[in-house]
Amino acid sequence: MATLSLEIITPERVMVKEEVDMVEAKGELGEFGILPGHIKFLTTLDIGEVRYIKGDKIRRIATSGGIGEVVDDRVIFLLETAEFSEEIDIERAKRAKERAESALKEIPMDTEEYRIYELALLRAISRISVASKGA
Amino acid sequence: MATLRDIKRKIGSIQSTQTITRTMKMVSASKLRRAQEELEKITSYATKLEEMTDRIIAWLPKESHPLLSEREEIKRVLVVAIASDRGLCGGFNMNVSLSVENFIARNKSQYERIGVYVFGRKIREYLQRRKLDIVREWTDVKKVDDEVVLTITDEITRLYQEGEFDRVYLAYNHFVTPVKQTLIFDEFIPIKSSSQQEGLDYLYEPNRESIINLLIPKYIKTRLYYAILDSQTAEHAARMAAMENATNNCGEMVSTLTLAYNKRRQESITREMMDIVGGAEALRGE
Repeated sequence: MATLSLEIITPERVMVKEEVDMVEAKGELGEFGILPGHIKFLTTLDIGEVRYIKGDKIRRIATSGGIGEVVDDRVIFLLETAEFSEEIDIERAKRAKERAESALKEIPMDTEEYRIYELALLRAISRISVASKGA
Repeated sequence: MATLRDIKRKIGSIQSTQTITRTMKMVSASKLRRAQEELEKITSYATKLEEMTDRIIAWLPKESHPLLSEREEIKRVLVVAIASDRGLCGGFNMNVSLSVENFIARNKSQYERIGVYVFGRKIREYLQRRKLDIVREWTDVKKVDDEVVLTITDEITRLYQEGEFDRVYLAYNHFVTPVKQTLIFDEFIPIKSSSQQEGLDYLYEPNRESIINLLIPKYIKTRLYYAILDSQTAEHAARMAAMENATNNCGEMVSTLTLAYNKRRQESITREMMDIVGGAEALRGE
């Protein structure tokens, strides 16, 4: 069976470089999946979960977004930041979520700061959700 | 003529210089190791992003982003020159300074204005002495973080977009190995692709504009950040090599001077002995 060669790279490290069966991620238009034979494809990646399936194993990654390219069964994800589910410090993520939530209550909407906290909240939520699903 | 004491003092001074250069070499070696780790971290990201950008922009119409289209008339060019704040690193700063100076000398007649965007105190001093057109300078940047790089990126992009300059070059030292650094002098903006269009065009999601608007600034920023890190790593390597040489040269000088010192000392002993023997002979003769 054909496989995808997946590379997930952040400015910090090369996270994944292996052959996988399927990749799923979240773009601006919603979640999408990539299987071998996919059309040439370019997408922005949103804050959320990236997961890939290899055999009967699923690995989950929480990311703060980036850009993804698919060409001839080669998938390259360049992510700003990313963590495997087992690396996530769930307590820290929860604290970040609370902090962002309480800040959002006080800051007026439509400000730069509001947007920053909103993104922080989204990141925290995505990390908590990825971490709680487990590896 | 140098007396025995003069030579001894000189040896002492060279030895203390040697201690300094040796220490500097060791400091550079450990800084180099750390810089190399930092550089390695981002290398794969930067190269992948560069390859990807190269592939993608082959498909983009030139007018789809202002940083892609070549201007018809190139009147003003900008050179972004990255070097360091400190010297004692061999030809490191000089390489970049000279390449910029030569570039300006070669192309002066062709362009209306050639500006230099400077990063590093040493190169600023050099260009200032030659009264060259310095557009902006960055010196004493303690830590090159996201914020610094973002500011530089924005400034350069703005200078280009507002028509202040029609082309931007990038000049810095590239770290190859700890003993080898090469000078890079590349065209930076407008971004050009070396790839050919192959197969079908991409499917863009959500659409081409948002991909371009994400990709191009990211590319410029990463390229600059990578160049600065690369240059810093090269600087530590260059300093390490320079200090290694200096330490060796000090050693050579010390041994030459020690030889001279010993010869001189022996001479004076011989002379004293002759005096004594001569005196004794004279006394016995009476």
